[in-house]
Amino acid sequence: MTTHSIGGRALKRLFRAGLNNLSRNVDLINRLNVFPVPDGDTGINMFHTLQRAYREIEDTESDDFSQIAGGFAHGALMGARGNSGTILSQLLQGFADGLDNAPLLSDELFARACQAAVQRGYASVSEPKEGTILTVAREATETLQGQESGSSSLMEMLETLIAAADASLNNTPRLLPMLQDAGVVDAGGMGLVCFLRGLRGDRSPLQTSIAPNAGKLAAAGAGTESFGYDVQFLMIGQDLDLTQTRRDLEQLGWSVIVVGDEKTMKVHIHADNPAGPLDYAIRSGAALDDVVVENMTLQYQQSLVGASSMRGQPDAATLNAWVIAVAEGDGLRAVFHDLKCGAVIRGGAGYNPSAEDFIAAIQQATADHVIILPNNPNFILAARQAADLVEPMLARVVPTETVLQGINAMLALGDAIDAGADFESTIAQMSAACEEIHSIEIARASRGTRIGDLEISENDIIAIVDGAIRSASSDVARATLDAFATLDVSSLELATVYYGAGISELETNQLIRRLTKSIKGLEFEAIYGGQSLYPFLISVE
Amino acid sequence: MTSDRIRIAADSVCDLPADLAKALNVQIIPTYVNIDGKSIPDDGKSLNRERFFRELPSMRSLPTTAAPSPGDAEAFYREILDDGAAHIVSIHVPEKLSGALNAMRLGAEAVGEDKVTLVDSLQLTFGIGFQAWAAAELAAKGAPLEAILDAIERVRLHTRVYAIIDTMVYLRRSGRVNALVASVGSLLKIKPIVSVSDGEVVSIARLRTWSRAERRLASLTNDQTPLERLAVLHIANRRGAESFLERIRDLAPSDTLVVETTPTLGTHIGPGSIGVATLNANWRR
Repeated sequence: MTTHSIGGRALKRLFRAGLNNLSRNVDLINRLNVFPVPDGDTGINMFHTLQRAYREIEDTESDDFSQIAGGFAHGALMGARGNSGTILSQLLQGFADGLDNAPLLSDELFARACQAAVQRGYASVSEPKEGTILTVAREATETLQGQESGSSSLMEMLETLIAAADASLNNTPRLLPMLQDAGVVDAGGMGLVCFLRGLRGDRSPLQTSIAPNAGKLAAAGAGTESFGYDVQFLMIGQDLDLTQTRRDLEQLGWSVIVVGDEKTMKVHIHADNPAGPLDYAIRSGAALDDVVVENMTLQYQQSLVGASSMRGQPDAATLNAWVIAVAEGDGLRAVFHDLKCGAVIRGGAGYNPSAEDFIAAIQQATADHVIILPNNPNFILAARQAADLVEPMLARVVPTETVLQGINAMLALGDAIDAGADFESTIAQMSAACEEIHSIEIARASRGTRIGDLEISENDIIAIVDGAIRSASSDVARATLDAFATLDVSSLELATVYYGAGISELETNQLIRRLTKSIKGLEFEAIYGGQSLYPFLISVE
Repeated sequence: MTSDRIRIAADSVCDLPADLAKALNVQIIPTYVNIDGKSIPDDGKSLNRERFFRELPSMRSLPTTAAPSPGDAEAFYREILDDGAAHIVSIHVPEKLSGALNAMRLGAEAVGEDKVTLVDSLQLTFGIGFQAWAAAELAAKGAPLEAILDAIERVRLHTRVYAIIDTMVYLRRSGRVNALVASVGSLLKIKPIVSVSDGEVVSIARLRTWSRAERRLASLTNDQTPLERLAVLHIANRRGAESFLERIRDLAPSDTLVVETTPTLGTHIGPGSIGVATLNANWRR
């Protein structure tokens, strides 16, 4: 027996309220985002999804509940962004389907439609993960099953649903270790809760005791340097086969979500090579629309380094070789990314990357040709081992001994690619580029010693020129000048000074002023390197 | 003037100096530079190039550039036809970089499509200029359309345009060459050498110093010998262009031109740059 029912106009108002409440919490949801990729866009993706959904029904005057729910779901499908947005669109679609075209919503129908929503949500993901928006939707819906139809009003049912969703959300860290490590609840689940609370009439930003820990957020993503590409598109055609498409796409990437119907499908996939899924879709004969390709590795790096140091346009497609460089110091790492390195492994300052670290990075490559720049004599062996172990993949090591050589090798790579050089001659050009520069590494001696004529006291500043200690002094400028004196500077034009962590640009410019006074005809350039142990790394060419 | 004559037209990005264009009877349609809400035709009169480039670095908002409008194109073609031309070969800045060809196409449709043959030069500055130059010389001799189009194609294949970019600031702001900008990066100060290839600006070398970039530019020029024509290009850097010409004097034909490029192009490249446009003599074979 139906005792309470609402129509389409009321539903439209509810959806509007849900969208509004989500919009107030977008930043919070973004900050929670650590899974599957900590790219901080769950909130904005869910908002865009619901915004597009609402646009679909905005001008509708219909009071037919199913029609409004269906329109909203269709809009969400068309506008779905990101994992959570896509799953949300499926929950909405399932909900709409579960209504069986009923013009009014009854409490009995509400419970049934919620179950249909959960079923569809789970079916949309090839490997449903617990501790996500799916769990929150499912556990919330399960509480409705115990309630007898007619025993409670729709608003009471919504309250029950929200209370259960809240509890489920707070439990997500226990289900997903990545959330636990970062000290957050699931972002997509939070988005769903915000939407549901909006339906109830909540208007204020969510009060939560959960504050994501920035350090932990970073740590949650550490260890994996590459996240591949986030690829989304609509396939439009006739007789599209969802199950088959999903199965086929799973061969080409991960986090596969395929939703929609036989005429329109929304595809979301994470892939190392974005061309794979797009190519598959084109070949299937479907028309493509609304194609979005995002480089998740870059997004992740940007979230760590800050937007200012990553102004380069992500365009890995222009490179046919995937370069892995080892570097330590956020500035130096940014330089390698800026020059289009595929991955930058942390190494140096007491941490030696293992062959396994290199292999993990190689396996994330988006090109068949991989080039490794160890940038340290001690890392070359591990890099070579890794390159041998990944056969038949083609991985080669350019035996760079300093990051400075590595940077010059990257510049040579750009030129080689522009010239259309093949892999072997590219490697040759990069290796040759290492010989074109001198590396001066300025460090502090950890103990006193004697090398040839050179007497070194503990805490002296020492200068290592092309791998050999050439000068030592208690004064940085003195040690550096002595290092330059070992080079024939008359044939050299440029010195690039990368200053380390704890060194200011001012100090660097002071050093450069002293150097310029004594060394004529050499141009100096200061760049933030952020490396530890070496106050200055100087590339001279 | 006979009425069966073919006339050659190009946009102002071709960089043919006004007196040369006049002598060759090449009709030039100006593109526009938009500064502070004003749209100024790049006709060599309305905009003082020297002053424009001097002020460019301190302009608070970067000027933008615009193709001629379809209405401009129609009026331009009509005037040439009224002057007695039977047909117009109209050579333009690449479609990949500008809407000019589209506007010219709409203008051509308005005057009768059979009256105009549109050519995507796939080049910039004197890369367009050399095509118009050769075409105009043939047209003056009364050559048929096919011969003119064939010459344009061969000139294009034997033309190279290279430039040293002094600062990436302008290319980065321009937004038209994202792939190039991405391939050069932004953290190190790099003097890239760029080339125009198939209608796009591409990077071909990344040098860390100006003098190295000049040496490379000289060697690239040398690779194109024997030269029938050479234009040394610059943007607000005549001295740099002239000293570079001295360096390659042995390769340069006696009628080599030193030309400051149009503000339309210069806005995207930025002051300080120098470059060359070369035409290899073998194009005639």
